[in-house]
Amino acid sequence: MLSPERLALPDYEYLAQRHVLTYMEDAVCQLLENKEDISQYGIARFFTEYFNSVCQGTHILFREFSFIQATPHNRASFLRAFWRCFRTVGKNGDLLTMREYHCLLQLLCPDFPLELTQKAARIVLMDDAMDCLMSFSDFLLAFQIQFYYSEFLESVAAIYQDLLSGKNPNTVIVPTSSSGQHRQRPALGEASTLEGVEASLFCQCLENLCDRHKYSCPPPALVKEALSDVQRLTFCGFLVALSKHNGINQALGALPDKGDLMHDPAMDAELERLLVQIPGLVNSVTAGPEASCLPSRPPPRVGSPWRPLHHARKVDAESDGSTEETDESET
Amino acid sequence: MIPGKYRSVSGRAASNVNCGLHLVIQTSSLPEKNKVRFEKVEFRLNKETSSFPGRLLQHDLERNYSSRQGDHINLVSSSMPSFPILQRSSEEKILYSDRLTLERQKLTVCPIIDGEEHLRLLNFQHNFITRIQNISNLQRLIFLDLYDNQIEEISGLSTLRSLRVLLLGKNRIKKISNLENLKSLDVLDLHGNQITKIENVNHLCDLRVLNLARNLLSHVDNLNGLDSLTELNLRHNQITFVRDVDNLPCLQRLFLSFNNISTFESVCCLADSTSLSDITFDGNPIAQESWYKHTILQNMMQLRQLDMKRITEEERRMASVVAKKEEEKKRESHKQSLLKEKKRLIINNVARKWDLQQNRITNIATNQERKDSDSQDNSQNDGGTMSAFPEETGSLDSGLTSALQGLSVTDTHLVEVDGDTLSLYGSGALECLDRNWSVQTAGMVTTVSFTFIEFDEIVQVLPKLKIKFPNSLHLKFKETNLVMLQQFNALAQLRRVDQLTVDPQGNPVVNFTLWKYYVLFRLSHFSMQKINGTEVTQNDMIMAERLFGILAHVASSELPQYRLISILGDARKKQFRYLLETKGKKPGIVNEENNDSKRLVGENTNRATLNYTTRDFYNEKLEEIKEKKKFCKTYIEDLVKEATEINMKNEALQKLWPQMFIELVRDAVIEIRNKNSYMKICLQQITDQK
Repeated sequence: MLSPERLALPDYEYLAQRHVLTYMEDAVCQLLENKEDISQYGIARFFTEYFNSVCQGTHILFREFSFIQATPHNRASFLRAFWRCFRTVGKNGDLLTMREYHCLLQLLCPDFPLELTQKAARIVLMDDAMDCLMSFSDFLLAFQIQFYYSEFLESVAAIYQDLLSGKNPNTVIVPTSSSGQHRQRPALGEASTLEGVEASLFCQCLENLCDRHKYSCPPPALVKEALSDVQRLTFCGFLVALSKHNGINQALGALPDKGDLMHDPAMDAELERLLVQIPGLVNSVTAGPEASCLPSRPPPRVGSPWRPLHHARKVDAESDGSTEETDESET
Repeated sequence: MIPGKYRSVSGRAASNVNCGLHLVIQTSSLPEKNKVRFEKVEFRLNKETSSFPGRLLQHDLERNYSSRQGDHINLVSSSMPSFPILQRSSEEKILYSDRLTLERQKLTVCPIIDGEEHLRLLNFQHNFITRIQNISNLQRLIFLDLYDNQIEEISGLSTLRSLRVLLLGKNRIKKISNLENLKSLDVLDLHGNQITKIENVNHLCDLRVLNLARNLLSHVDNLNGLDSLTELNLRHNQITFVRDVDNLPCLQRLFLSFNNISTFESVCCLADSTSLSDITFDGNPIAQESWYKHTILQNMMQLRQLDMKRITEEERRMASVVAKKEEEKKRESHKQSLLKEKKRLIINNVARKWDLQQNRITNIATNQERKDSDSQDNSQNDGGTMSAFPEETGSLDSGLTSALQGLSVTDTHLVEVDGDTLSLYGSGALECLDRNWSVQTAGMVTTVSFTFIEFDEIVQVLPKLKIKFPNSLHLKFKETNLVMLQQFNALAQLRRVDQLTVDPQGNPVVNFTLWKYYVLFRLSHFSMQKINGTEVTQNDMIMAERLFGILAHVASSELPQYRLISILGDARKKQFRYLLETKGKKPGIVNEENNDSKRLVGENTNRATLNYTTRDFYNEKLEEIKEKKKFCKTYIEDLVKEATEINMKNEALQKLWPQMFIELVRDAVIEIRNKNSYMKICLQQITDQK
């Protein structure tokens, strides 16, 4: 936190990088919007509540899409909120179409764009008939990748196309080390006959992209790990690998591990309480509380700030940058 | 060939001729030699024809003359090999000079009858004669009976100018012909033949009885010229329509039993016949109709007997009453069907417009006039049905025909109240909620049906609906573009909904697996009973809560306070605004609204934040916020600039401060180095200040 690089940035940029300004602007905007109501109980309290909710991740509920998309933290919060609210749907075993998932998304964000949902569905369905049913966990994980890293994925898609058509984007880049230049393998002929692109080349490009990308990217090490056991891969395959890789999921920090996606004891308890309140209910409710404690679970929401881990990772990457590059130059 | 002798016939060769005729032939006494006894021959002809084909045709001719009729007739073979010659003993000739009976003689041809030129009655019943021949010399013949033979064609009668009764029943005649010279014919009996058409009888102006029963007639016409016809027997044919009967000035009895008449229009000429007093229709399809009796009675006031039964005054009165009622009913139903047709056209038009709107069909025809028309109320019918149509130029009928022709109907919406259902077609119909509805009508409405209207538009008028139709419990949506689960949130503002019907046509939301549960969840405070016709079970409610309960929990408890207030406040503000516009003055209403909202908040706080704003509204709001956002951005930027400036200054100060401090200290130390001179300078400064 107190590394010297932090002070190297000019003030404005520093604030912008942490998205502090986004939240400040939004807070003031909300204040303006509701000044009659808020003036009743004080501005200080308003700001307290606002930033508390930002910490807890509830600030994105029922907000417009532009706000939800604005910062990685918002996106992660949104994912988490979606998971919490509709986990029960998944638990019920219902398989839904892409449109229905989109509908559920719209319940939380009225103007959520359909394209994002479609792209997420495409990851799950591998470009098959778009009306197929998907399970909750499949969709959620794919959606996570698509939504959280959407800009990154766009660039990757462009790179993939380039690689596919034989152009090597590496020739344009001048990386900080000289390791990139001898990577110009003439894999052109092979690319056209075989499917997809070569995995290692692809990874290299991704790493370069991550370095210069100002949007959030998955940690390159994890990406490499995800693609380690394949020789060639298509773009779809890449996305699927990303979505299924548990490490990336953890790095994102929004959702629990895939195996635990249906588990949320706190909310289950809450649900029990609600169910009991239904009038005239015959008490046949068996939720089978998964209270078999999972100690590694992140603690319940109240008040625990959970940091977007990837930022820390990124910093780590930077600080270890030299090591990595020297590693590469060795191979 | 011809059997041997003709044996005498006993007098009691009784046979009934059934043609309803009372014929009297009086034989005049011949002046000179043959003192023939004067006799009155009565041929009582009964009315009853026996029906087909099982019963034997009884052909009884009651005769009043003495039974002693020993006709000794000899049939000798003549020179012409085919025709036998008939001879009678002179005694018989004298006794029965004017009549000759050759019944059941197994004749296959007509024998030549010699020397009987005075013959007036000739009876060939029950033989096998195939052609009428060899009687042209009997020019005094008045009565010719060829019943039950095998004659195929009417012929050989051209010389019998005095013939008055011609009985050709039960033969094989296919065509009426060759009767030109029989101008005195009084009775013509052609029953039981194969005649298909009435023809060649127009010259028989003395004919009183015409019997064409049991033929193959399919229609009746060509009867003109029969100026004396009193009785026409057409039973047991295949007649479907009757014409020309009004041209028969004397016709009193018409028997049409057992034909194929099914409508009154096919016999409508009977109404114009003033002489008809007796008619039968039994055995026709028309006699099975419910309106048969009174229609006949109404249209034929001159009748005295129908189907062999006298018509009483009572019956006539009833008939006219019933006929009037039928007329009214017909008019009413005609009007109803016109209305229905119009309604259907309007709905089609609205549907087409809707499809265009949804870009489902390309806009090819552009010659649609669009008339913005106001709705106007029609007068209320007794049945409590009220329909409102936009203004139209011209009468209903002309409008309808033109509409049917060109489909350039300009009506763009339709509002219909039918007992307990209010049906709205087309978005223009929503304006009807602004009208003043009578309390009674509005109170009766329990079902409201929306078709071809965008759901977003419906949402905007739901408050009005709540007020104007407080008893509406069942909402139906068809072709309303319901695509998101969120849209159901809008229904929460109504007072109460018991049943919800969302037609899959035009409402894609129904394809979602979870839509019913979401509705139950969001509108749980309504305790809905039926969705799309199926009962809501306890399990459904549980499932709904289980699926979406957490959503509600999150939406209520985890939202920061100010968001809660702002979201709820929005909804309430809207309602208040609407109320103030209309009847806000009355305190009662306001209180009610307060109670409502209190109840609202109390019952389902945790769902109340799940609202629906229509797309347009939402975009509007976002637009409005843009300005504020810009302002906020610049404001924050200014703040940041200030803060960074201050921060910079602070940092710069931090950097410079050590140096500055050292210099300060150094300056001070240098100053105080020489104590004496420092003291003097200070004192000097003090005195200077004064």
